[in-house]
Amino acid sequence: MSGLAFAAPWALAALAVLPVLWLLLRVTPPPPRLVRFPPVRLLFGLEAREDAAARTPWWVLALRLLLAVTAILAVAGPLVNPAAPLVDGSGPLVIAVDDGWAAARDWPARSAWLSAQADRAERAGKPVIVVATAPPAEGGPLAVAGPMAAGEARRLLAALQPKPWPTDRAAAAAAVQAIPRDTVMAATWLADGLDDGAGIAFARALQSLGGGLEVVAARTGRILIPPEEQGGDPLTATVRRPGAADRLERVAVRAMDGRGTVLARTEADLPAGEREVAVSLRLPGGLHNRLARLDIEDEAGAAAVVLADERWRRRPVGLAAGGAGASAAPLLDPLYYLRRALAPVAELSEGELSALLGERPPTVLMLADVPAILGTTARAMTAWMEGGGVLVRFAGPAVAQAQSGGGEPDAFLPVPLRAGGRSLGGALSWTVPQGLAPFPEDGPFAGLAVPADVQVRTQVLAEPTAELAAHTWARLADGTPLVTAARRGKGWAVLVHTTANAEWSNLALSGLFPELLQRLTRMAEGRPEKSAGPLPPAALLDGFGRLTPPGGAATALATADTVPGPRHPPGLYGESGVRVALHLGPALGWPAPLALPTGVKAATIDGGGHEIDLRPGLQTAALLLALLDLAAALALRGVLRARTVAVAVAVAVAATPAAAAEAESFALDAALSTRLAAVRTGNAAVDRKSLAGLSGLSRAIDQRSTLHLAEPMAVDVERDPVLFFPLLYWPVTATQPAPSAAAVERLNTYLRKGGLIVFDRAAEGPPLNDGGDGRLEALTRGLALPALAPLPADHVLTRSFYLLAGQPGRFDGGTVWVEAAQGGAANDGVTPVVVGAADWAGAWAADAAGRPLYPAVPGGERQRESALRFGVNLVMVALTGNYKADQVHLPAIMERLRR
Amino acid sequence: MTRTLAAQALASRLPPLLVAAERVAATVAAGVHGRRRTGSGDSFWQFRRYQPGDAASAVDWRQSAKADRLFVRENEWAAAQTVWLWRDPSPSMDWASAAALPAKRERAELLLLALAALLLRGGERVALPASGIGPTSGAAALERLGTALAVEAVAATALPQPAGLPRHAEAVLLSDFLLPLEAVEAAVRALAAAGTVGHLLQVLDPAEETLPFSGRIRFAGLEDEGATVVRRAEDVRDAYRARLLAHRDGLAAIARAAGWSFAVHHTDASPQTALLALHARLGER
Repeated sequence: MSGLAFAAPWALAALAVLPVLWLLLRVTPPPPRLVRFPPVRLLFGLEAREDAAARTPWWVLALRLLLAVTAILAVAGPLVNPAAPLVDGSGPLVIAVDDGWAAARDWPARSAWLSAQADRAERAGKPVIVVATAPPAEGGPLAVAGPMAAGEARRLLAALQPKPWPTDRAAAAAAVQAIPRDTVMAATWLADGLDDGAGIAFARALQSLGGGLEVVAARTGRILIPPEEQGGDPLTATVRRPGAADRLERVAVRAMDGRGTVLARTEADLPAGEREVAVSLRLPGGLHNRLARLDIEDEAGAAAVVLADERWRRRPVGLAAGGAGASAAPLLDPLYYLRRALAPVAELSEGELSALLGERPPTVLMLADVPAILGTTARAMTAWMEGGGVLVRFAGPAVAQAQSGGGEPDAFLPVPLRAGGRSLGGALSWTVPQGLAPFPEDGPFAGLAVPADVQVRTQVLAEPTAELAAHTWARLADGTPLVTAARRGKGWAVLVHTTANAEWSNLALSGLFPELLQRLTRMAEGRPEKSAGPLPPAALLDGFGRLTPPGGAATALATADTVPGPRHPPGLYGESGVRVALHLGPALGWPAPLALPTGVKAATIDGGGHEIDLRPGLQTAALLLALLDLAAALALRGVLRARTVAVAVAVAVAATPAAAAEAESFALDAALSTRLAAVRTGNAAVDRKSLAGLSGLSRAIDQRSTLHLAEPMAVDVERDPVLFFPLLYWPVTATQPAPSAAAVERLNTYLRKGGLIVFDRAAEGPPLNDGGDGRLEALTRGLALPALAPLPADHVLTRSFYLLAGQPGRFDGGTVWVEAAQGGAANDGVTPVVVGAADWAGAWAADAAGRPLYPAVPGGERQRESALRFGVNLVMVALTGNYKADQVHLPAIMERLRR
Repeated sequence: MTRTLAAQALASRLPPLLVAAERVAATVAAGVHGRRRTGSGDSFWQFRRYQPGDAASAVDWRQSAKADRLFVRENEWAAAQTVWLWRDPSPSMDWASAAALPAKRERAELLLLALAALLLRGGERVALPASGIGPTSGAAALERLGTALAVEAVAATALPQPAGLPRHAEAVLLSDFLLPLEAVEAAVRALAAAGTVGHLLQVLDPAEETLPFSGRIRFAGLEDEGATVVRRAEDVRDAYRARLLAHRDGLAAIARAAGWSFAVHHTDASPQTALLALHARLGER
């Protein structure tokens, strides 16, 4: 219902007295202005006419009538788009709320609607009963709250939060049935649009209260189903919409790391009628292990979040070669094919076996043709395998040679081997190279297709024993084992009976090879054992899909396929290192849309617009009119002169900062003392960090040198002159617009006159790659930048104050680029620009007490000190130019002096 | 005292005011300038024939020896004139139509002190009849005058009475002279009868000249004269102006009848002009 209504219509009756007021105002003239006048004697008797008919000026009359009308209307309390008034009667209003996961998507709108309901009940003077249909977080039984006063209900409703689990309408229906039926109660239900099997029962229970039922619908949350292939590339997640599928929706799924940096983002369309869409995310190389969560962009809700746990991590794989070792020809290198096959799916490390088994051993070790493992290495290897390591060995000439020598059997082979190798299809043999037999159904390679063209020419043979068949995971066509494996503690010892390169077979050249290796790698996935005991909650999702510390009734997780609920909210469970994610999405399946029984009044949450109460506005207007009237009355009596008003207006105008004066004061501020400046990016967090960083750097310079720098300023390159600053710190952010032509012109002048701009590409976290990502290029388009080169070791930046070896900021690494050295460069060879990706401001930033604001990684305080020293050098270069560069000639000068 | 300083600054722009002594009066005292007539003084003026009654000691024997007759040596009379200054202390003077303009009383006092400074610099003597300061001279006198003006209570005093002044005095009266003409005439006639030569300076605010008000206004005086409500001030402006001019003509006539001078000064005009005019009129007598 839209239109205008009044909360207290009887007050409008007061409008009837307006004519009387008009008459009264008309007959009472305003008192005359009083003027003191010494020659008043001369005025006596000048005007003999009787002075009775002085009129109130018409505008004063209009002003006062308007004031009266406004005041009367304010008392009447007009409402635009008033909600339907509640039916009379003293029975309470029952407000049922679905506060399960599906309600989180537009919870602010739902919350506003609930508040409006409380207002409605308050106006009608009705008590309120609140029924929340999701089981409460503290694990208690579902119960109704109330009846209570509307004001109290408003507080309760405002505190209501969506829960990260489904509703339990059966329990809610039971709770509603338990409400005593002594009066007729109207009910209104803010539904999430999904049926959990008891939707109709719940609606009937509400209807049975007797006052009618209104069901209000809003948008339903969507579900993100985790990818099947959790370590795969690309990741393919599925977005489902269980609610209304009647129109096209655009979804964006993004992958984020633990700090909230978006690693990848993909958009997809959900056309009308479709309920499900698959979204593929391709993570940039090397970032796979940083993945912490996938979620649907701009959608709150526990079901729209998928958390990455240990199963998602890429396994670290160690590679080592024995025998001939690395070959000069890459294709003959024993590890070449292993590297190529594993690089996309695993973190590779190579080295000596003892080094690989050192501090942080990989979970999988692949040894190509390593004949024997002896001594302390063998002991470390045994312990590692017992702890869950997977050792994959490839045969080769050296292994075959070691077996033929007899003696101690190799403890790290799954099966004993016969001496010597077996050659198939050689010049002196009538056997032919063997293909592969289909993989056993119960083995780890089950389901892999066998290419027909794979042929094994040479292999090592296992001693035929009774257990050989049990240990065999893959066979050649003639039945001889190709891959054998044996359990070693929690780990595995696996032997591939041929080489890892193309020397003995063309297996390494086939598409099967990477798949075999991936399967083997996944053997080591740190999937906690089912018998590892219950997993304590580590971090849990709340109803909006945010990770929170565990609380409420959350208890340890016994089995991974638990259905999320108050006792097991979705989130991460387990100790650090063996985290298991419990997801809400897969457990939900396909919830059916909500069906309603007959006799229910359906509505939508935004139907008819929001109720707007005009009373506060009218009250303000009446007050302002009263002030205006007072001013007018004073002016008429001459107390308030036009000049006073002019002064007041002038004061008010002067209080609003004039642009010209502001620009001038900016220039004064900037020019009167030496100070650094940071370019304002529009990202408030980055801007604050830049200023805090420059301020910390200024303080450090103050303490360490005779230079005194005033507090840094933030400048807007579009508006402010930058010419005053020796150094301009420019954090590069994603959202920054490129400077306009005028700003570019100004910046070019600044650079030409000897300014120094420091671009920092890591202001929003370290950039994904060291090369350009387009942002800097977009920002500096049009700037007259010289050719850049990586900072040479003897550059003046490394010696202008401190002698420095590195230029770290908050992050270490990343190349620092300066003007490429060339004879007779502009600005006397002083670089006009420094580009880095180290977040220097983050390292410099300190609070008022000098405590650092951001951690420096990975080097800690030592790295921060280096960063500060680099900052000091930067400022020195900005202020003194290449003065210190002359020091490079010092040895020559000394030499000449000595002569 | 800033007011005194301002007055001195104003006075310093004029040459020392020499008041020609016109008449021998009881107020005469030894002064520094010759009066171009016989009298007691140091410088020679003239010889004249001995007349019976002259003291023997007055005979200039040296001159008499040159001729058959006896000559009496007469010196030039050197004397200072006392000028009596008065400004209207009534509340109606304490008024200015705009904050930028000085009050009439302020302007009158400035003129009074500037005149006093000029007179004192010329060696004359100055007196303030209203404050009870008798003829006084010297550099410190100006300070005393300024202090006396400042402490003097504002009172609805009418014009000075002849009782306060010696006969044949010279007086300068500064006021707005908005009193009824009869009162002014009575006072001036009384003074003139005592032989006083006076100068009237009417100090007026420009608003009093033009009545720049409009609208419905209740005018009230500052001396309990009463009040009057004017429906449209702009309508009575011309009538008021006519009355003010008539009043001024009356004042001028009164001054003329007594042989006094009369001038008008507005507070928005430069005080220099008024001082110059006063200076000229005091000097020409």
